Amino acid sequence: MLNDFFNGKMLRAATVLILFASLGGCATTPVQPWERGRLARWDMRWDPDPLQAAMNDHTHFSKEGSNGHIGAAGGGCGCN
Amino acid sequence: MSAAATLVPEAHAQTATSAEADAHVSYRFSEYDEDSLAPGPYFGDAQRYRVLSHQFQLATGVGSDAALNVSATHEVMSGSSPWYVAPGLDGRPIQVMSGATIRDHRTELRGSWTQGTGSSGGTTYSASYSAERDYHATAVGIEHSMPLNAALTLGFGGSFSHDLISPTDAVQFHRVQHEEKNTGSVFGSLAWIIDRSSVLQTGVQLNSEHGFLSDPYKLVTVGDELLSDLRPDTRTSAAWLVRYRHAFASPDAALHLDYRYAQDSWGVVSHTFEAAWYQSLPSRWELVPGLRYYSQQQARFYAPFFADPAAHNFYSSDYRLGTFGAISASLNLRKRIGSWEFSGGVERYHSATDYALGGADAAVPGVVSYTRVFIGLDYLLR
Repeated sequence: MLNDFFNGKMLRAATVLILFASLGGCATTPVQPWERGRLARWDMRWDPDPLQAAMNDHTHFSKEGSNGHIGAAGGGCGCN
Repeated sequence: MSAAATLVPEAHAQTATSAEADAHVSYRFSEYDEDSLAPGPYFGDAQRYRVLSHQFQLATGVGSDAALNVSATHEVMSGSSPWYVAPGLDGRPIQVMSGATIRDHRTELRGSWTQGTGSSGGTTYSASYSAERDYHATAVGIEHSMPLNAALTLGFGGSFSHDLISPTDAVQFHRVQHEEKNTGSVFGSLAWIIDRSSVLQTGVQLNSEHGFLSDPYKLVTVGDELLSDLRPDTRTSAAWLVRYRHAFASPDAALHLDYRYAQDSWGVVSHTFEAAWYQSLPSRWELVPGLRYYSQQQARFYAPFFADPAAHNFYSSDYRLGTFGAISASLNLRKRIGSWEFSGGVERYHSATDYALGGADAAVPGVVSYTRVFIGLDYLLR
């Protein structure tokens, strides 16, 4: 399975995106700390409401066949 | 599988957000209500799951460069769930439900400690424990974020979970009595500050599960017999995620776009698209409409029922392993008054085999649709 993933289009797409991000991060003018006012907004966080995000993850995990996110995972559940 | 919340130190990529700014006490109450089974033929109680959840969280800075986050969740579950699928006289699958006697509760405790909360990155140590009458899970995790330059932040980490399964009424229904499974997970991510208004994050997560991965409560029709749900005792999976955030000055809003591709050794392949619009309104109101689309292709050993017992090593008619798609829409509203924030929202989730990308070959009579509502209260400590 992992061979399929690593040989597949998705890995190529991920690699291109990561390289693009890396090159972009080097090529563009850095955003200075005093220019990050908009980025610091509450609604610009990856998960603005962690409790709600946790409940969303838990619900979808319980009712769908696959999952995965960026970050450490918790334990499973006996969800039906 | 892992249940849960991501414990990522927030916003390292965006800014040097101080731990003090995140200090808050929060409460959420939610009601999750599944639709009755319809319109296909079924047998048993059509009233499906209902879950009432209470969540509490305390997040606070500790000293000048650390943060503590503790949370507790208590859920009460009741209703019936899909048990097995029987072939009807006309060949159509008939979903057989369990009785509506399931009543259980789940309590989860979770804590994390982040050392390093400024722009130089940090490390988060996390632990959680979840207990149900028939299921106990203990998990630990560690993750580290470090800036590579002014625009890029690298994140990586891993977690491990040990789960114990002890089904109720095991002797009466010939279920396994005591089983366990272990799950290991590693991930890496890269966050990129594109410009003053937008950020992008991409990452990969790899999971490996070993142990009892079947559902002890579900049966499968195999030929003329009813057998226990039987799945491989290992499962490896990989997921690739992309998240994009863009802030608008006018209108005062933020756009969230997320995509996830996931694939596992059982043959399940899924795509998830999410979009949300965080619209700020006068008088410190905020409106957040959201849309989500999910599509998965079935596991190799899924079928509503199996005609030939000799043709399969594994078999499951669990709807969660079938081919289906789901569309959900949500609407949340927030209001800030001083140090208090009130919130509420509703999500409508509808799934069907017709929604799957590429269509479905096999029937999945147990697919679930639900409505969820929540209310919340936050108090900002500083």
